Amino acid sequence: MFKKRNPVDLTFSFITGIASVSVIIIVIGILYVLFSESSLSIERFGLLKFITSVEWDPVRESFGAAAALYGTLVTTVLALVIAIPVAIGIAIFVTEVAPNFLKGPVGIAIELLAAIPSIIYGMWGLFTLAPIMARYVEPFLQKTIGKLPLVGIFFEGTPLGIDLFTASTILGIMIIPFTASISREAFALTPSVVKESAYAIGATKWEVVKDVVLPYSKLGVFGGIAISLGRALGETMAVAFVLGNKNQITTSLLDAAATVTVKLANEFTEADKDVYLSSLYYLALLLFIMSFVVLAIAKFLLLKAERRPGR
Amino acid sequence: MMEKALEVKTLNFYYAGKTHALKNINFPVYKNSITALIGPSGCGKTTLLRCFNRMHDLYPGNRYEGEIIFNGINILSDRIDLIDLRSRIGMVFQKPTPFPMTVFDNIAYGLRLKGIKKRSELSERVEEALKHAALWDEVKDKLHVSAYELSGGQQQRLCIARALAVKPEVLLFDEPTSALDPISTGKIEELVIALKKDITIIIVTHNMQQAARVSDWTGFMMLGELIEFGRTDKIFTNPSEKLTEEYITGRFG
Amino acid sequence: MNRERLRVMQSRIAFVMSTLTALFGIFWLVFIIGDVLIHGIGALNINLFINDPAPAGVEGGGLRNAFVGHLLITLFATLIGVPIGVLGGTFLAEYGRDRGISRFISALSDIMVSVPAIVVGTFVYALLVKPLGHFSGWAGSVALAIIMIPVVLRTTENMLSLVPWTIREAAFALGAPYYKVIIQVVYRGAATGILTGILLSIARVTGEAAPLLFTSFNNAFFSINMNEPIASLTVSIFQYAMGPYDSWHAQAWAAALMITVFILFITLIGRLIIKWRYKR
Repeated sequence: MFKKRNPVDLTFSFITGIASVSVIIIVIGILYVLFSESSLSIERFGLLKFITSVEWDPVRESFGAAAALYGTLVTTVLALVIAIPVAIGIAIFVTEVAPNFLKGPVGIAIELLAAIPSIIYGMWGLFTLAPIMARYVEPFLQKTIGKLPLVGIFFEGTPLGIDLFTASTILGIMIIPFTASISREAFALTPSVVKESAYAIGATKWEVVKDVVLPYSKLGVFGGIAISLGRALGETMAVAFVLGNKNQITTSLLDAAATVTVKLANEFTEADKDVYLSSLYYLALLLFIMSFVVLAIAKFLLLKAERRPGR
Repeated sequence: MMEKALEVKTLNFYYAGKTHALKNINFPVYKNSITALIGPSGCGKTTLLRCFNRMHDLYPGNRYEGEIIFNGINILSDRIDLIDLRSRIGMVFQKPTPFPMTVFDNIAYGLRLKGIKKRSELSERVEEALKHAALWDEVKDKLHVSAYELSGGQQQRLCIARALAVKPEVLLFDEPTSALDPISTGKIEELVIALKKDITIIIVTHNMQQAARVSDWTGFMMLGELIEFGRTDKIFTNPSEKLTEEYITGRFG
Repeated sequence: MNRERLRVMQSRIAFVMSTLTALFGIFWLVFIIGDVLIHGIGALNINLFINDPAPAGVEGGGLRNAFVGHLLITLFATLIGVPIGVLGGTFLAEYGRDRGISRFISALSDIMVSVPAIVVGTFVYALLVKPLGHFSGWAGSVALAIIMIPVVLRTTENMLSLVPWTIREAAFALGAPYYKVIIQVVYRGAATGILTGILLSIARVTGEAAPLLFTSFNNAFFSINMNEPIASLTVSIFQYAMGPYDSWHAQAWAAALMITVFILFITLIGRLIIKWRYKR
């Protein structure tokens, strides 16, 4: 091939090739480092015991991931519960409901919200939202839902505002714009001809959305949700201010807890013993694998969504 | 006897090593004439055109067999310097492809590739090329404006001027007017006819009438084979092959 | 009520709900940005920019060292990350086009765009902090660069792929070698898109705190020595907001305001550039 005969081309293709391979090197590097740094902890605690143990005692050198994993999962799931309906609603609004002159500005507003760094959300959560939660929202919830038989256990304890509930709320608000943005793009891919055929049969606008747009963009929306899930799992700053970093598994949402990321943020530089640091790395490894798998599934869904031209 | 600019000898071409896209093609291309390649979609006319400037080499796996003789040398051989070849055999594409630069820089691009740097020389050659392409009057005050500001027809003439600037001996046109309106098409056809006194032209077109209007020689292709080749007026009034006649009279398309 | 009327009513209700969610979303945007504005402007004063941090509890300190440190860290992260990202994206869209390995790297990059930033911090800690025995601005820049690379790589790849293939062929047909086609023609065509990608990646890493926590750490004093721990706005916000002093809280708000304004500004410019460029 002639392009290989030119030495400059050869060099340039080599340089660009190495640059692109850097991504693979980084991923392998991260896995290698995480494994090797956590090997001490892995040897001592194994996998099952580490995941199920609620202990986190630097003095007695006994560590377990259960509390952190619990917190990570609870905050993430709750955040998604809050964010997904709202995000899809916003996406429907921007694509189908809004009059043309509004579509642009609202779209930009969503993009700007998505650009706000998580530390701002976190700080705002600490200074503004947590007090509101402590003073109004949480007592209210305790007086109402808290009195109900089964559901009540989720709202026990003293409402201080620094708890799973506040953290999940902030995390939820934070992922709304991103999820809305991806859903909107997925919706916009529905070909107008398909929508027009539905209108032509006499479907109402909502029916077109429900029966044509949503099913058509299913894969794209799921992919977007999966990415949001992946991001929420790895989020640190949005929750670090308002979670309290208390190593416990608690049924009440009004209790402080910990997530993997919050633990890392608070304790990494304090870890004085090898096995302590190694256990933190073990947590990081678990988190990395979890979010990587979720994001890989998301990518897979999105690739599938791109591929089909029509049903 | 007319001088030959190019001669195609038992040319066979395989896409990615497998699809036999061109089968045993033989024909001459005479100097300072316009040779048209016509035929139904998928007959191989564009594939054949792209052999002349070795465009197929850009994609791995393609294979040529046979020869195309140009100035006494077989340009399908491995030892040919493609960069030099392409400055002697230029190409204009189906859709106008202006580079994201000013009008001036577009035309000057090929010149700069050849190492011409002096501003005065570049200006001279750019003006010459634009005049040759009948575009000078329309753009002489817009030389430093983005090429995207020109109309579709002007952009295509810009691409022609760009190809002319390096003074090629042969110019290949791949359906140059299929993306243009009738008026621009007319202008380009006039231009092509005017160009032939300096350059040898091969033009692929799916528009039979265009071939009849513009060319001196015509080759009719089908399914990778050259069914008939001859003087344009003969092909269109008294073709020797039945298939040619059926295509000309619109039996299939 | 007949069936048709019911369906139309359902449609109206559904859309009222969706409008409410949009208002809900805008509400938070206004609330959060408004809060940052109010608290931040109130705390803005010249001391913030010309003074370094005062001892704990003492009034009048500023965040000069954090502003400068943050600038340095981000600058070097950009210098490291952007070239690698642009060159890598070039390979995927040009020399490596349609190859299996390119699709794999592209997918892998997409995944890495959303990977936990704090894990990147732990990675760089093991690589550049532990072996050397101290935190450093360089480690912080490397961590941010690792986050930037996939973002820049993907936008570059996408923008280059938008340039129609025939333009490359036209350049080849004039006798240009591939590297010239890429640099002189394709890059020019994709320039604004790539630039926007770079701007947006800068906006993204400017707001990061987690990856800096154990790499560049923090520094109470003014320093431009990248070999030592160096202050950054985001880490300072973390420290100050969680601290006990009101003066610290005020400074945290002010710093948050500055960062938010900067990021929103860059994001807007990036989006506007794209809109303007692709309208022609």
